[in-house]
Amino acid sequence: MNPIEVAAIVVFLISFYGLITGKKMIKAVVYMVLMQSAVIVFFLSIGFQSGTVPPMGAYLEYAEHIADPLPQALMITAIVVGVAVTTINITMLMAFFRKHPTTDWDEARKKSMEKEGAATLPNLESQS
Amino acid sequence: MIPNPMLYAILALWVFGAVCILRERRNVRVMIYLFIFSLLTSLAYFLLGSPDTAMAEAAIGAFTTIFFIVCFEKYEALKVDGPQPEESPAEKRPVGAWLKRVVAPLLFTAVIGALMLYFSPGGEVVDHLKSQYLTQFAQDVGGENAVTAIYLGYRVYDTLFEALLLVVTVLAVAHMSYSTSLQSTKQKRYLKPSVVEIAVVRAIAVVILLFGVYLIVNGHITAGGGFQGGLFIAAFFVCRFLIHNIHDLPVYKLLRLEEVVFASSVLIAVFVIFLGMTYHLPAEHLPMFQGVYMVIMNFMIGMKVACGFTILFYRYVTIERR
Repeated sequence: MNPIEVAAIVVFLISFYGLITGKKMIKAVVYMVLMQSAVIVFFLSIGFQSGTVPPMGAYLEYAEHIADPLPQALMITAIVVGVAVTTINITMLMAFFRKHPTTDWDEARKKSMEKEGAATLPNLESQS
Repeated sequence: MIPNPMLYAILALWVFGAVCILRERRNVRVMIYLFIFSLLTSLAYFLLGSPDTAMAEAAIGAFTTIFFIVCFEKYEALKVDGPQPEESPAEKRPVGAWLKRVVAPLLFTAVIGALMLYFSPGGEVVDHLKSQYLTQFAQDVGGENAVTAIYLGYRVYDTLFEALLLVVTVLAVAHMSYSTSLQSTKQKRYLKPSVVEIAVVRAIAVVILLFGVYLIVNGHITAGGGFQGGLFIAAFFVCRFLIHNIHDLPVYKLLRLEEVVFASSVLIAVFVIFLGMTYHLPAEHLPMFQGVYMVIMNFMIGMKVACGFTILFYRYVTIERR
């Protein structure tokens, strides 16, 4: 088992644990950033040996171990997609905070439940 | 003997940074930890033999932190932790709640981790695709950087769709966030920068712009490329905001420019890659043509990314304050 992969899995699990137990919305966004970094390290570490050189330059045929270029090209795409997700998350967070001034999941759920209850209860009564 | 002590030290610090973020309660400190974490991530990518992703991650980490800090600047209430939950005494809290809050998530995470470790590939990797790319890219796509050759040649679909995703993101942010005046010249500033800070930023800004252009132009030869160069050019516009404290850039015109650049990059890719223009060229002109294609494509991607991130930054700055 490659120790780099283990480190990536550990960081992924730490952020996963934070995501399912955390109470703050901002930290949820941060945990998603961490998960993305862990996934990228996992992919880059596939087939890694010590003494690996980057896959570029004119004298590649003399190098002993060359890093795999395919995960790197895919991970550049993944990084940009990840930052797109982060910006959308921040915008949604700010829009939510403007509407209900809280960033706590429990409070937000309580408030939206209250609002929904106020909106739906009269309808239910009129139907019955 | 450990084969690569630097890499393992950085990975240990990296895991420790994640634990710090998990333990920290104050949001501003979380941001500082996040910035350090992304720097460590960037170093780890570099030591794993991929300077392209390291450069992209360094720039992206800085931009993520900037976006969060601008968000905090807009809504001061996000900086603090919010109202503290009233501490109920320990004897009143039932055991079931503790089980539900701590033990069950831990167990769930542990099970997922065990499954991941069990199914993780490890060991030997079949790498015929890697050797094929490494031996063929110089003739097929050109240049000396295999990563750039892959994302501009073999897998140009990925690049185009990722560029499309960035355009959609910018549009979504521009429409989800509202602002009173896009073109207002001056904004009230809460922390006034000193003369020294402005002078330093002014000196750095030109270097950042030059570095971005260098990365774009040399992306097919050395580490770098369209994304990284575009991010550095967008950082130049952030510096410009810091120096002059104005946001007079026409955001909607930039948005149009981004769409036009995206459409033209799609057209170039269709003509060169999908219609196979390279097959009709005489062999002696092929390397020059490939170089020109890669530089133009990198330039297009760089311009698009620079426009997108400049729009995002200026949009966050001009969002209305409560």
